[in-house]
Amino acid sequence: MSTIRLQNLVKRFGDFTALRTMDLDIGDGEFMALLGPSGCGKSTTMNMIAGMEEPSEGRILFGDRDMAGVAMGRRGVGFVFQNYAIFTHMSVRQNLAYGPRMQGKPKSEIDRRVVSIAKFLQLTTMLDRPAKGLSVNILQRVAIGRSAILEPAIFLLDEPLSNVDAAFRAVMRTELKQLQREFRQTMVYVTHDQLEAMTMADRIAVMDHGELRQVGTPLEIYNNPANVFVARFIGSPGMNLLPGQPSESDGGLVVDLGLLGVTAPLPEPLAQALRGHSGEVVFGFRPEQATLGVAGRGISAPVTVVERIGARTIVHLGEDETAIKVVIDNEIDAVLDAAVLVMPQMDAVRIFDRATGKAIGGIRG
Amino acid sequence: MNLATGPDNAMAQPPAARTPGRDESARLGFRLTLPAQVLVLFIAVFPLLMQLYISLTDWSPLDGLSWWMAWESWNNFYNYYDLMRDNRFWSAMWRTFVVIIVCVPVEFLLGLGLATLFVDDFRGKRVFYSILLMPMMVVPAVAGYMFFMLFQSGGPVNDVLSIVFGTRIAIAWLSDPTLALIAVMIADIWQWTPLMFLILLAGLVGVPQDQIKAATLLGASPWQRFTTIVIPKMKAIIIIALAIRVIENFKIFDTLYIMTGGGPGVATETISVYIYKLTTQDLIWGYVAAIALAILLVLSVFTVYAMKRMAAAREVEA
Repeated sequence: MSTIRLQNLVKRFGDFTALRTMDLDIGDGEFMALLGPSGCGKSTTMNMIAGMEEPSEGRILFGDRDMAGVAMGRRGVGFVFQNYAIFTHMSVRQNLAYGPRMQGKPKSEIDRRVVSIAKFLQLTTMLDRPAKGLSVNILQRVAIGRSAILEPAIFLLDEPLSNVDAAFRAVMRTELKQLQREFRQTMVYVTHDQLEAMTMADRIAVMDHGELRQVGTPLEIYNNPANVFVARFIGSPGMNLLPGQPSESDGGLVVDLGLLGVTAPLPEPLAQALRGHSGEVVFGFRPEQATLGVAGRGISAPVTVVERIGARTIVHLGEDETAIKVVIDNEIDAVLDAAVLVMPQMDAVRIFDRATGKAIGGIRG
Repeated sequence: MNLATGPDNAMAQPPAARTPGRDESARLGFRLTLPAQVLVLFIAVFPLLMQLYISLTDWSPLDGLSWWMAWESWNNFYNYYDLMRDNRFWSAMWRTFVVIIVCVPVEFLLGLGLATLFVDDFRGKRVFYSILLMPMMVVPAVAGYMFFMLFQSGGPVNDVLSIVFGTRIAIAWLSDPTLALIAVMIADIWQWTPLMFLILLAGLVGVPQDQIKAATLLGASPWQRFTTIVIPKMKAIIIIALAIRVIENFKIFDTLYIMTGGGPGVATETISVYIYKLTTQDLIWGYVAAIALAILLVLSVFTVYAMKRMAAAREVEA
C-alpha cells in the first residue's frame, strides 16, 4: 500500500498540452476515480503514474519515493487495461503466473501463489481453460488477479467497464468494489461514467481539458460543485444553470432571471456571500431538488418535453439559455406549452460567478 | 417446379437447408463455375495424370513415338525402383536439404531481426524499407549473373576480403565444391531475406500492443516479452513464412544454375538442377516424371503438415 502524490504534473505532446498543472494527493488504500469527458487528460495522468509516459514537468511520488526514471515494470503498479489485455494464447493459469514467472520465482512458489489468488478470485475451476473466449467478468477477474499476484502497492484501472454491456455493468461494479475492499490497495480508477465513479470511489477527481476541476467525495461533488463544469457534468441530468442578476427585494436577496422571472429569496449565508460580489451570476439547482406548481410568481417557463422513465418523470421547460429540467417522482398531467411554476428548494441552490464559473459562498454541507 | 424435385418432396420433413431454392442456386453456381473447373482439370489434373502415366514407362522423346503411345515401353514401377538406388539423386536431395537447413533459418532470423527494427519509427525508415525490398525484385537470372561476377577470383568479394585482412586474397569461390555451395546459399539469402522480412513485419505489426504493455507492467524484460508474447502471437505467420521458403528452397534453381551450373562437378547439383539435366541432356523423361512425382509427394506431405500446424496456431491466438 502506498500514497500517491502528483505535484505540478504537466504533459505535453508536441504543441498539444494534454495535462496542465495537476496536483493531487491520493491516500493510502483510497479508491480515487479520475472522472471526465474523453480528452480531459485522465488517461494521460494514469499512464504517467504507471510509467508508460514520462511527465513533461512535475513529480510523481509513491510514498516519498520519486518515480522519475523508474521503469514501468518496476513501479509496483498493477494495471487493468480497458480491454483487459489478457494473453489470449495462454491459459488462465499461465496468465496468472506470468508476473512471478517473469521475475524468475521458483515453480513451487508460483504454483502456490496462483492457487491462492485463484481461490480468492473464484477462478479455481477455470485455471486450465484457455483465456480466449472467457466471459468479461471472468476476464476482469483474471486481469485483476494477474496484477494482484505481484502484490502491487497501487492498482490502476483504465475504464475497465466501458466494454461491458450496460446490464452487466452493475454486477461488475459491485464485484470490483468488493475486491477493492478486500485487497485494501490504493486504487486509481479512470472513467468517463459518473455512475461508476459515484458508486465505487472514496473520492473523485473531476477533470476537464487537462485541468483538475474539483476533488472530493462523491457527495461533496454532487452537493457542492466547485464550478459550473462540475455542476453540469455531475448528475443525470446535470444541474440547471440559469444566468441572472442578484437584486435586493423585501424578503431578502433574490436573483433576477430575466424572462424566467425572479427567484424566491436566497437563504441568508448564501445571500451574505453574494452581497460582496458584483457582476452577473449563474443560478444553479439540481433537477431533483425542485418541484413544479401552477403558474404564479417565481420562475416560470413553458413545458417543452415530458420524458417518462418509469419511476420518475423528467420535465423539460424553456429552451436554450433558459432550458430547465425538473425530475419529479410522480406522474403529472403536464400540458405542453403551458407555463409552469418551478420552485427550487432554496437551501439546495448554488450560485456561481458568471465570468469565472466558480462557486460563490464556499462549501456547505 | 417444386413437384419436379421428387425425392425431397417425398420426404415428410425435408431439412431446412435442402429447400428447392437452395438446390436451384447450387445448380446455377455449378453451371457458372463449370468453365473454370474444366480449365483447372486441364491445367492441373491432366498433366498430373499424364506424368503418372509416363513415369511408369521408359518413354523418351527420342523414341519418335507420341507420349500417349508410351505404353509400348511400359516398365511397371522400375523407374521408382531405380530412384531408390540412384546415388546422384540422393546426393542432390541431400544438397537441397543442406540449402534448406542453412538458408531458411538464416533468412528467418535476419528477417525477424530486421522486422523488429522496423516496427519502431526511425529516421529514414521509408528509404531503408525500399532498399531492403529491392533484392526481392531483381530477376533471379540477373541475380545469378550478379553473384557470378561478385564471386570471381578477381571479383569484388575477394577485393573486400583483401582489404579486411590486409593481404591479397584470391579465393576461387565457384570452383571449390564447398565454397560454391556457400556462395550459392549467400545469393539465396541475399535475395529472399526481404520476403521473410516483409511477411514477418506484417506479423509483428499485428501483435496486440496492449498485451505487450501488460507484459511490460508485469515486469517482463524485452527479451521475455519477445519470447512469451510476440513469438507465440506470430506463430501462424511464422509457419507461413517458413513453409513458403522451405518449398521455394526445395525448388532452388535459376540463380544457382547461372552461378555454377550445378558444378563444380556435381557440388551444387540440387534436385531441380538434377531434374533439369536429366530432362535436357539425358532425355529419359519417364524417369524424370518419376522423380518429379516423388518430390511432389514429399512437398505435399510437408505442406499439409504446415497447414495443419498453422490452423492449430490460428485456433490458439486471435
